[in-house]
Amino acid sequence: MEISDGSCSTASMSCTLGDLSQPDGSASLTHGNTQVAAAVYGPCEVRLSKEFPDRATIEVIHKPKVGLPRCEDKLRETLLRSIFETAALTALHPRSSIQIIIQEIEDQGGLLATSINAACLALLDASISMKFLVAAVTAKVKHDGSVLLLPQEGSTEKDSLGIITFVFREPDKSVVCSFTSVGTLSLQQRNQCLSLCQEACDTVFKFYRECLENKFSKIK
Amino acid sequence: MRDTPLSNCEREFLLDIIKERKVSCEVTLPKLRRPTEGILFVNVELSPMASASFEQGRLTEEGVELSRLLERCLKESHCVDLESLCIIAGAKVWSIRVDIHILNHDGNMLDCSSIAAISALAHFRRPDVTVKGEEVTIHTSEERDPIPLSLHHMPLCVSFAFFHQGKYLLVDPGELEERVMDGKMVIGMNKHREICMLQITGQMLLLKEQVLRCSNIAVVKVMEMTELIQEALLNDKSSRAKGLKCGFAESATKRKVNRTWKEAMDVNSVPGCEVPSDSDSESDEDVESKISERGDVNVLGHGVGAIGKSAVSKWFEENTDDMEKELEEERNKSVHTNSSQQEKAMTAVMPADISGDHEGDSEEEAIQILDKDLKLQPM
Amino acid sequence: MWFAGFSSTSNMETKQLARRVVMPGEKINALKNCADSSKIILGPGLRLEDEDICVAKSGILRFREPNVYWVDSHQTRYVPVKGETVIGIITQKVGDTFRVDIGGSEQASLSFLSFEGATKRNRPDVKVGDIVYCRLLVANKDMEPEVVCIDGQGRSSGMGVIRNGGFLVRTSLSLVRKILNADCVLMKCLGNKIPFEAAVGMNGRVWVKARSNKETIAVANAILASEYMTNEEIKNMCQRLADALDGF
Repeated sequence: MEISDGSCSTASMSCTLGDLSQPDGSASLTHGNTQVAAAVYGPCEVRLSKEFPDRATIEVIHKPKVGLPRCEDKLRETLLRSIFETAALTALHPRSSIQIIIQEIEDQGGLLATSINAACLALLDASISMKFLVAAVTAKVKHDGSVLLLPQEGSTEKDSLGIITFVFREPDKSVVCSFTSVGTLSLQQRNQCLSLCQEACDTVFKFYRECLENKFSKIK
Repeated sequence: MRDTPLSNCEREFLLDIIKERKVSCEVTLPKLRRPTEGILFVNVELSPMASASFEQGRLTEEGVELSRLLERCLKESHCVDLESLCIIAGAKVWSIRVDIHILNHDGNMLDCSSIAAISALAHFRRPDVTVKGEEVTIHTSEERDPIPLSLHHMPLCVSFAFFHQGKYLLVDPGELEERVMDGKMVIGMNKHREICMLQITGQMLLLKEQVLRCSNIAVVKVMEMTELIQEALLNDKSSRAKGLKCGFAESATKRKVNRTWKEAMDVNSVPGCEVPSDSDSESDEDVESKISERGDVNVLGHGVGAIGKSAVSKWFEENTDDMEKELEEERNKSVHTNSSQQEKAMTAVMPADISGDHEGDSEEEAIQILDKDLKLQPM
Repeated sequence: MWFAGFSSTSNMETKQLARRVVMPGEKINALKNCADSSKIILGPGLRLEDEDICVAKSGILRFREPNVYWVDSHQTRYVPVKGETVIGIITQKVGDTFRVDIGGSEQASLSFLSFEGATKRNRPDVKVGDIVYCRLLVANKDMEPEVVCIDGQGRSSGMGVIRNGGFLVRTSLSLVRKILNADCVLMKCLGNKIPFEAAVGMNGRVWVKARSNKETIAVANAILASEYMTNEEIKNMCQRLADALDGF
């Protein structure tokens, strides 16, 4: 497979923090044409059956745009939960729960990554203590071997050899987890995607910082 | 009867109770009793995002009431022409599904949901269909333009809250007001002044004049809201015609303090860059040695590995002299690692007693006192 | 926040470090060099991990002489801290204790003996739904919080059930800290224009009561609006509010 020169672009991003009045933290993130709303409640009461004596329970609910939640939503919930169980300082709030609710508003590729980024922004808005920040980037390998970053104008998750999502942590950009959602990729393709995504995750982390600086700009 | 000033908050509740609704369609069998009519299904999801008291999946009394009222308002008023949804009588019809997700609950979810549902139905376009005898061809949106639904009229709901046994009336109650109200009246009406739905709940009795007065107020409100919806639909149509971006992504107002926007950016990656830890040709031993090079995995034997530096075991109290020496050495080398592991296992921040500092800056909720060379005292 | 008069290198660095937005996961080891004394006190939002000072919450890094650092974040959910005064709502009466909702992850317990002058025979007049101004006696992450309405000597010192009307406003925690700060002119300014009574709980709840309902609403709105205002803007707002009320 030919591996083309790896330069491409990330789509435009926009985020609104703290729009909802009920949740403790909320974020509405638009990446390209994919849009996701995330809300966080916590630390709050937890059901006895779900409580842990030494840490907080992270509950994730991912709701699709149309219809009732399906298997893929459950899969995303599991992934998000495992990511944020490592990222948040759950030991600070035993026997309580941190609820993360994600609502898909528009899906034009890269929904998983956008959900993870929106959840991270919502946790930042709610000021929940975290060990590190996470940023997710999706890469798509087309049939001709070229690699694209999703979401992208004019490109969806169809017609691809494989799609892989990497989740990175700051500041060393080490991989927290990776998830191949479609197809299979060779090791070489996977490494190419990894290097591309590592470059791209910088933009996401800088975007988080900008969002928060805007939010705190009014507080002196 | 006196009423408090009408809280004229269309704009407020459109901002406070941000909603989201989706319409989708599929071809199904028609209902047996109505073989020439399509099916309209309304689903209201009280998302846990809207309020901490809503639970995923479990439909509370409030949720049931909301979806039932909305169904009555939309279905029984026959606002959508169901006959036009028929493809082959008795065999194939369109089934339209309206999903309403509530994002934030600040009172009066019903009014907002009805506006959202009607706007969605008016905005929706279904695929075009050609029928040749028994053969049905559904055209994709690339082949033929999709067709809008035929809406006879737009019924919208207006809620009124009553206090003090009907003495005081509030239009469009907020969340706090809903919690203290005695009773509620909902009027579903369209702009032709036709009442499509009327419901009174709560423990109170109303006079005829009150009901008439409320319906007059409802007329005014419905006119305004219908105008708003028509305007929004026109705007969307014109921006689609111009080829501008439209959809939820563009609906948020651009100039707000809590909104951040970033342009598309180029990302350059070094071509052909190999991540060093993986390589194609590996034997099992190579894999193991490579992994142990990364420092965190110790291979103890065939098929057995340990991850992380092990700490001093605290289970055993009898140590031989040798073991003690080893333990001593380990302790000296890795005193920081041990203490940090302990710290991680226990608390990250220890509350300390602060006296006499509450009235003024009580910003310091938890304080950790450290020595300058930052060694934690063994606990 | 202001610093000592002369600017040595350490003070300049501290000035640059403070008032900066920080994100979780950032390591701020430069703090170790800046402090004049041998100890550094890390407040909320900062923690120690393996010899590095890590940020745990997003917010603005603050500094107070001589060696105290913390992160000012914007939060609405309260996490109980021992010794803070909060406003709670009685939700249940279980035997001899009341369950009080203080806005945290768990409800607090309040014994009926923790009121001034309460004995086994002389029970305090507290009903479900009442608001109490109380102090957290026990508040750590592992135990259920406990509140009391008396101080160490057995006197109420302003705590207890809040009666006679008024309105409870829910705000963010940072607004409450701002109001209680000696530098903020809101309470004084507002009080000069519209006389009112207030109880401020550190859990983001403020109870206000003025002479009439209208004034109470005005005071409540003024408090909510002052979250992002500077002292100048607050003074202007109070003036406009007083004028508007006179005009009614």
